[in-house]
Amino acid sequence: MLYSTDRILTTHAGSLPRPPDVRDMVAARANGAPYDAAMYEERLRSAVAEVVRRQVDCGIDCVNDGELSKTNFTDYVRWRIAGYEQRPSSGERRLSITARDQRRFPGYFEANPRRWSLGPPTMPVCVEALRYVGQADLARDLANFRAALAGFSVAAAFLPANTPGTIEHWMLNEYYKDDEAFVFAIADVMHEEYQAIVDAGFLLQIDDPDLPDGWNCLPDITLPEYRRYAAMRVEALNHALRGIPKEKVRLHVCWGSHHGPHHDDIPLQDIVDLIFRVNAGSFSIEASNPCHEHEWRVFETVKLPEGATLIPGVVGHCTDFIEHSDLVAERLVRYANLVGRENVLAGTDCGLGTRVGHPSVCWAKFEAMAEGARRASRVLWGRG
Amino acid sequence: MQTNVDHIATSHVGSLPRPDGLLAAYHALEAGEPLKEQVFRQTLRDAVAAVVRRQHDIGIDIPGDGEFGKPMGQRVQYGSWWRYSWQRLGGLQINDTPGAYDTAPRRSAPGAIVLTTFADRRDRSRFAEAYADPDSGITTGPRPPAPVCVGPITYTGHDAVQADIANFKAAMQAAGVTQGFMSAVAPGSASRIGNTYYKTVEELLYACADAMREEYKAIVEAGLDLQIDDPAIAENWDMVNPEPSVEDYRTFAMQRVAALNHAIRGLPPERIRFHLCWGSWHGPHMTDIPMRDIVGVMLAIDAGAYSFEAGNVRHEHEWKVWQDVKLPGGKLILPGVVSHATNVVEHPELVAERVLRFARVVGRERVIASTDCGLGGRVHPQIAWAKLEALVQGAALASKDLWR
Repeated sequence: MLYSTDRILTTHAGSLPRPPDVRDMVAARANGAPYDAAMYEERLRSAVAEVVRRQVDCGIDCVNDGELSKTNFTDYVRWRIAGYEQRPSSGERRLSITARDQRRFPGYFEANPRRWSLGPPTMPVCVEALRYVGQADLARDLANFRAALAGFSVAAAFLPANTPGTIEHWMLNEYYKDDEAFVFAIADVMHEEYQAIVDAGFLLQIDDPDLPDGWNCLPDITLPEYRRYAAMRVEALNHALRGIPKEKVRLHVCWGSHHGPHHDDIPLQDIVDLIFRVNAGSFSIEASNPCHEHEWRVFETVKLPEGATLIPGVVGHCTDFIEHSDLVAERLVRYANLVGRENVLAGTDCGLGTRVGHPSVCWAKFEAMAEGARRASRVLWGRG
Repeated sequence: MQTNVDHIATSHVGSLPRPDGLLAAYHALEAGEPLKEQVFRQTLRDAVAAVVRRQHDIGIDIPGDGEFGKPMGQRVQYGSWWRYSWQRLGGLQINDTPGAYDTAPRRSAPGAIVLTTFADRRDRSRFAEAYADPDSGITTGPRPPAPVCVGPITYTGHDAVQADIANFKAAMQAAGVTQGFMSAVAPGSASRIGNTYYKTVEELLYACADAMREEYKAIVEAGLDLQIDDPAIAENWDMVNPEPSVEDYRTFAMQRVAALNHAIRGLPPERIRFHLCWGSWHGPHMTDIPMRDIVGVMLAIDAGAYSFEAGNVRHEHEWKVWQDVKLPGGKLILPGVVSHATNVVEHPELVAERVLRFARVVGRERVIASTDCGLGGRVHPQIAWAKLEALVQGAALASKDLWR
């Protein structure tokens, strides 16, 4: 279990900027377009090595592989599970994380089609028992990351994996008898990936935006209904995590990383108990954007689960302004005063990779975060 | 401007989203398309009436005219707050002389500060690829050709400012509003244009001061609060390359302050609010000068209230500056508690938290909740209004706490 024993450690939520050539090859591979497979494997290996070095250079203590092999944090699952077929879709997303905002801000979304995007032309439909087929891709990710870490002494290394509830956003079900059976079937499949990541010696980061942003996807739902919806998906996630020690697991939740207004995001207060129901040892939350920054006060009354750590976002993707390190320090000190300095790690609201305006903005935010963590540590450990 | 009696007053920095009809009218004018003067005037008058009413309806205590009289022909537009002066100053010409973007970079030396080009700003240099990338989101909209000063600067905007005043006052009266503000560009920011006429930058600066004084007087004499927009006081720091010493920069900035004070001499400070900002574009802003280094310069301006950015991640921590800096007696501050820097709408509880921090340091009577910069042209109209509503709700939450 990773604690900030003598200073505030730094980490981030996952996605990092892709080098353009890697991005293009990953896209070609995903779209079934021609690409040079040997060159892809070689370049992916070197790019992961570069991105690990870059994180270390920026002062990140707990690093990952930048998700470089993935089209995105959830879509990658399409190549790792079988039991579905692609069918033409209506062009609408089944569950859209901007559904609630779109009601109040239709003009904004019409003016910014790039920022919400229609659904893809085809959608996966589950038509038979799901099974995990991503062994080769996963093994390659594990090997690339392990090789990239050689020669570096990092506090910890993590790899992300997606959750049943989020996969359910974009896969339709015609095979299982109901939503619950379907979500638990996804859980059974994803268990294999989770277990392999932990077996390889890495921390497992569970990316579960669904837990908060399901609220945005279901604009008509009431809070009690939503809590039932979310509770069942938490159970499914815990089913997928069965047998994995919680200190090997960190949960990342976010409210959907689109650059829209986020006016009606569900308050942390309304779901924090559900979040802590997940069998994880560490919890990563958005805390640095203006819709959620004030929620540090939730921890005035809510206690972290015994032995758990909190990773508040202290820099974020919602603005290309670089957070001032004094602001980062102020945010960290606030959390440390409430949950204990050793239980706080500095993190990002969401993966910065493809969400800020430019790679240089991502790295500058990392450096600002690392410097802010040093400043907070000086305050918290009384070193001048 | 009055001190708060029983609640935190609310205002904003000026620019508000132009309705589509007004954008289209300005766009037509820019394109040289024929437009009936009478039709344009009516469009503008109606738009100002509606925007003042809307501010009043959502609970903005001190509304503005949205800067609707300052031309803006595109929904995304960051520059109308100063470009309008090109149409109100004589002695300018758009010719083949390279403008403020296109000339060769100029280098400063210790004790000898000169502004370099907009293109050579230090943030822009450090993040050159990000600024150059059309998909990065840093883009600030179209950039019209900039004028060059080729003759004596004179004020030619008398009719234009009187039209703005008439529109605004009629709108205020119709909405039942008694206090309103109108913005005008400061000499330091107006003088950042090419110059082939004046021998020195200082001469140009004071010529702008004398000319703009006409506009300042007109606004104050009309019974409106005057807001002086002068990002150049803070933003020039990024436009001095290489980075100067703080001492040198303060000396340089104080010349702009002296010119501004010359321009507003004799006008009642309690009717003037000064707006400081670090440039409203969506870039990284790594090279913004810290508030601590510039606050003394700002307070040397003969205004009764000071508006500044405090709602974005580069400047939010600077509320602490006011723990050490004494706000002179009788003066007010208008910190930005919602911002153009992100589309995410500030939660009212965050707004309240920000207001409370300032109120506890300088006193609840002396804080007007405001925005970082004008929201019009910088975020989508629907988002701009949602942010203003959050501002009002947050100020009310803070008031409840401060006057319970």
